[in-house]
Amino acid sequence: MIRILVVEDNPGDIHLLKMALQIAKLECELTVVDDGREALDFARRQGKYASTPIPDLVVLDLNVPKNDGLEVLEALRANDAFSEVPIAVLSSSSSPRDIAKAKRIGVERFIAKPPDLEEYMKIGAELRHLVMVEQPLRTSSGG
Amino acid sequence: MRPFRDIPIKKKLTIAILATMLTGLLLAGTGIVVADSVLFRRYLQNDLAALANITADNSTGAFSFDDAQAAGGTLAALKARTHVMAACLYRQDNTILARYTRPGESPECPAASGQNEVRRSAAGLDVSQPVILRGRRIGEVALRYDLGEIGERARLFGAMVFGVLLVSSLLAFLLSSRLRAIIAAPALPLVQAITAASRTRDYSIRVQKRSGDEFGALADAFNEMLAGIQGPDGDLRKALVDREVALKDAENARDFLETTVASIGDAVISTDTAGRVIFANPVAQQLMGWPQSELSGRPLDEAFRIINELTRAEVESPTSIVLREGAISGKAKHTILIARDGAEIPIDHSGAPILDAEGKIRGAVLVFRDVTERRRAEQSMHLLASIVESSDDAIVGHDLSGLFTSWNKGAERIFGYSSEEAIGRPTSLISSPERGDEMPGVLERIGKGERIEQYQAVRRTKSGAAIDVAITISPLYDDLGRIVGASKIARNITEQVRAADRLARLNSALRHSNESLARSNEDLERFAFVASHDLQEPLRMITVYSQLLVQAYPDTQNGDVGAFINYIVGGTKRMRELLADLLAYSEIRADAEEPRTPIDLESVMQKATQNLKAAIDESGALITHDPLPVVSAYEGHFVSVFQNLIGNAIKYRSALPPRIHISVQESNGSMRFAVVDNGMGIASEHREKIFAPFKRLHGKDIPGTGIGLAICQRVVERCGGRIWVESEVGRGSTFVFTLPVTSLSKQGDLNDTNSCG
Repeated sequence: MIRILVVEDNPGDIHLLKMALQIAKLECELTVVDDGREALDFARRQGKYASTPIPDLVVLDLNVPKNDGLEVLEALRANDAFSEVPIAVLSSSSSPRDIAKAKRIGVERFIAKPPDLEEYMKIGAELRHLVMVEQPLRTSSGG
Repeated sequence: MRPFRDIPIKKKLTIAILATMLTGLLLAGTGIVVADSVLFRRYLQNDLAALANITADNSTGAFSFDDAQAAGGTLAALKARTHVMAACLYRQDNTILARYTRPGESPECPAASGQNEVRRSAAGLDVSQPVILRGRRIGEVALRYDLGEIGERARLFGAMVFGVLLVSSLLAFLLSSRLRAIIAAPALPLVQAITAASRTRDYSIRVQKRSGDEFGALADAFNEMLAGIQGPDGDLRKALVDREVALKDAENARDFLETTVASIGDAVISTDTAGRVIFANPVAQQLMGWPQSELSGRPLDEAFRIINELTRAEVESPTSIVLREGAISGKAKHTILIARDGAEIPIDHSGAPILDAEGKIRGAVLVFRDVTERRRAEQSMHLLASIVESSDDAIVGHDLSGLFTSWNKGAERIFGYSSEEAIGRPTSLISSPERGDEMPGVLERIGKGERIEQYQAVRRTKSGAAIDVAITISPLYDDLGRIVGASKIARNITEQVRAADRLARLNSALRHSNESLARSNEDLERFAFVASHDLQEPLRMITVYSQLLVQAYPDTQNGDVGAFINYIVGGTKRMRELLADLLAYSEIRADAEEPRTPIDLESVMQKATQNLKAAIDESGALITHDPLPVVSAYEGHFVSVFQNLIGNAIKYRSALPPRIHISVQESNGSMRFAVVDNGMGIASEHREKIFAPFKRLHGKDIPGTGIGLAICQRVVERCGGRIWVESEVGRGSTFVFTLPVTSLSKQGDLNDTNSCG
């Protein structure tokens, strides 16, 4: 069972993401955090997330209420506990600036939410590939 | 050699005494010498006779025995008498018994004479003495004696006489000196008195009588003579003398006056009553060009020709006027002297009559001077004065107490006071009542010789109006270099000040509205960015869930519901495109924060044509371009510029296959890019509108949102360039844009280029 942290406030997107993961046949358990502050708590493993297990994948929307998604990304990257957790940004923004910023901090994927259902469903396969194929390769080669 | 009578008494005395004494002494000496030589000769003869006698007596024995030796001994005794030259003892038969000669000599003995005699011979005195024994002659003594002794004695006496003469002369000389004191000295005061009386004609001089001798008598006689002269006759003489002195003085005075006139700087000429030149001083001669020699006696009018400077008419000579009217001829102005060589010399002149003691005119004197320098100075002064007078600026002068000393027409125009009203009044006359008078400080600075450049002040005119003036103040110096006041040049700048105020207000308003415009522009852009960005989200939801709805309910696909859902999807798609374009447009500004990089427009061109590949292939467009430079910008923006311009050229093509060429030219510090096509062209009335966002000239037959040219314009203008279109319907379009050279990048000079894109 793959544990996935989803930072996303739009229920429509959460639904679409679950559909996509289902289509991709990735057996997973989602922890959904719908605002930036809670996401920060999770990243720092504090408050109610103090003892939550480390996920196998983080799917992060940059546009979340309260605290900015990039801030959450920085906090995740700052925490050694998440050092081997791949992060995929799933953003409604495809602005080059946001992409550049996220990549500077360090993400494994930057996926613009597609304005097309078919495209959207392909995200499941991509995430599956990231967590099932790429990540084990990386951790094994890295040590 | 002066004659004896002219020799001073002192010398006469000396000579007389010496002559007397020397004559006496010489006579006495000569007598003594002559007497002595006669007496001595006689004595010598006796003496020699005695000597011969003695010798004869002493040699009787020797003769008796014919003893030559004894006889020689007797003769040797003669050695004591040095003047005995030789002696011989002759026997009876006249042979020599013995002989003596003075040592070192060998004179002959005189021959035996047999007589008892003393003879004078050529060699001296010869003495013969028979030797008698008992009355019988047995031999003879013969002596020869030289006469040197006589000469010796004469020399001795001569020396003695000479010595006496010498001593006597000395005594006589000393005596004569004393005598001079006794005889000549009393004459001296007399001589001095006579000399003084004859020189000074002062006959009151008297000589003091010092002795009762002839000098005393002479002094008395002299004094009496003077007393006689001093009498009634004396006064006449004195008058004569005085007249002589006066004449001398007059001569001196005339010389002095002549010298003065000759050395005076002005030209001076005197004439007689007929106007003929008597005298002209050197300056006059030089100015007129006539020497005195030619002037003398010549009518002055011939040499002194003058004309009026303005009319050039001949002017009557002042001496003529003087001689005719008998009065001083005043200075004539603007007179020019025509010199002999034709040179024209501006002069000042005046004439005056020469009057004698009775007031009768004896002639005229003309004085004139060369005023060329002064005239020149006056002319330049007039010129300066008229420049000052005609200036539009107020040019005024004031003294160190702040009172106006000059006031030109400009000042009258600006301040309203005439020069009569202003001169002599304090400078506070025109100072502004509100602002006060800054003159005290200014006067202090002027006193130090400072110049005060162009400061602005407010002044009050006669009518009370306040005006703005720009003032420059400089110290005024007198001819000795002392600061005596200040000159002020004031320009009325009221209008300029007002205009400047207005301009400043307008500028400020403009800046203000610019700022608020920029702010509202910024707000609008931010709004556009945020709106287009955030609107994408719900739009995406609508699109995706519409699709999901169709998927979830396949049955509705062909019915009305399906059609409605397709409308929704189509609408959201169009809206998404519009929003995407709006976002792209607004992001051009937002992206300015991106670091600019040198981008090669060649690669930009490739990307653009790559993006347009489908359209190019489909239309068969032929695209060519000049070599493209490297610019410093944001790459994505220029890709859209080229893509939009080329894309438009393809989209709005004519019936012909599109031919597109991109040319590059550098001119006047900017690069000029032109995208030339052979498309349908644009009507002139649309050429401005097409750059507005979402402005389209065509309907749905040609797809597009109308943002492309707006993006192009925005990118180009953000780089400091311009974009426009040159076109004619049916003849293609040329889209031209410029970029400043500073935005062009060569390798390594990125820092010099402007950020744009």
